[in-house]
Amino acid sequence: MFRQGDVLVVPIAREELPADLMPAPRDRRNRMVLALGEATGHAHVVTGERVAMLCPPDDPGRLFLLIEGYGRLVHEEHGPISLAAGAYRVVRQREYFPGAIRPVAD
Amino acid sequence: MTATTQAPGTSGEQRPNRREARRNEDMALAARAERWMATGLSTEPADRAGAEAGVRIAYALAGLPAPQRMLWLDSPAAGATAVAMLRTGLAGDGKVREALAAQGVRPGELALGRSVRPQVRTRPWAQARAALAEQRGAVGFARHWAATARRPWQQLVDQLATPLRTRLTEQFRAGTGEFAQAQQDALLDVIHGQHDAAWLGAFDSHPDVDGLARVAGSAGWWWAFEQVAILTERPRAVHRDNLGRLHHGDGPALSYPDGFGLHAWSGMPMPAEIAAELPTLTVERIRRESNAEMRRVMLEHFGFDRYLRESGAVATQSDTFGKLWRVELPGDEPLVMVEVVNATAEPDGSFRTYFLRVPPDMQTARQGVAWSFGLRSREYQPEQQT
Repeated sequence: MFRQGDVLVVPIAREELPADLMPAPRDRRNRMVLALGEATGHAHVVTGERVAMLCPPDDPGRLFLLIEGYGRLVHEEHGPISLAAGAYRVVRQREYFPGAIRPVAD
Repeated sequence: MTATTQAPGTSGEQRPNRREARRNEDMALAARAERWMATGLSTEPADRAGAEAGVRIAYALAGLPAPQRMLWLDSPAAGATAVAMLRTGLAGDGKVREALAAQGVRPGELALGRSVRPQVRTRPWAQARAALAEQRGAVGFARHWAATARRPWQQLVDQLATPLRTRLTEQFRAGTGEFAQAQQDALLDVIHGQHDAAWLGAFDSHPDVDGLARVAGSAGWWWAFEQVAILTERPRAVHRDNLGRLHHGDGPALSYPDGFGLHAWSGMPMPAEIAAELPTLTVERIRRESNAEMRRVMLEHFGFDRYLRESGAVATQSDTFGKLWRVELPGDEPLVMVEVVNATAEPDGSFRTYFLRVPPDMQTARQGVAWSFGLRSREYQPEQQT
């Protein structure tokens, strides 16, 4: 598994990919954005050859990657990470406070 | 239907062309989502003529005559208060009374008529949605909605409109009697104006929602009654953090031209008195705070690292993933934090340290970091961290 700031990319078996995934929406520059910093505009972005960013139709926030060529995870403030062919689950970091849990702002 | 609409399942088309078409559509939809986000976050003064034209179109699309009067107030709070004053004929708030008087209106002398929100907003939305769902099919609609409205909804409804409504409800609930009730009732009839950009992006300028879209592009929250439309200004400033939550340590995170504002820290609304105390906090003051949510705001503002240093916190454990700190808080669960060193160097070559609050039963730094990603300690084995 690979961590880039507040994003963790966890390898999973292809069979573990949920059924009926659809291509997740891209941004206006056609980038595959795993997480976006609203204040800075900085983004965790996946690039590469034969890479798909997928999500369930009813839950576009739950992201998966299916890489059939090679992938690369980049961010303005963090070093790049190479991703080999395979299936991955994307997790965004959360933090604890009494009574609730909320995501972390990278 | 236009000539370019492709029937589903048409055979003989080239896959790359289809992929390219989808890519182009994705990019166009994402650009549209961004445009609507900007509309929702706009802090420009209202385009009053444009908004009033939009109101007339919205009424006409609903089959209603245009309202006889359009009134302007400077914030959603003033708007709801004006609705309550005109509805009840009570004197209400002085500043709002002045604003109304300047427009030649006195409470008790102008009938609003019934709310026409269902005809003006709810029905056109449902129509536009049904048309799109039929045109695109279930998965196609989900895709379209995700591409155009997911982020705007999260950012404008969850992070802005909802905290603002919550704050106004609490503020009005603190009052008593018929007037306070009328203020609360006014919130049930509100149309979110620019914040409706959260969903309008999915339909863009679809003919059914054209009027609503024009008002959203020109003004803040508004009210539609048979005889009167009440419109409000947009905020003058919106401060947000990296997750898009309202966040400002130096004044209100959201502020309107009449001085109405909402103080918030990392999305947590706070009273102005607490906000005023933030610059002069001490360990002792934080310890004394009885409201757990306010204490969290104070702790974050004060800085976890400084609090740990000044409160005599003890490092209870450390491993290659970081250091686990623990501070007892009287009458509350202990503050347990993982201190992590950023894996990527800053431009000056230093490594930034950050603190992550974790559940108090965490035993190791590794367990804490693993928890933050929803994993168990032994499952968390990053091969690379940057």
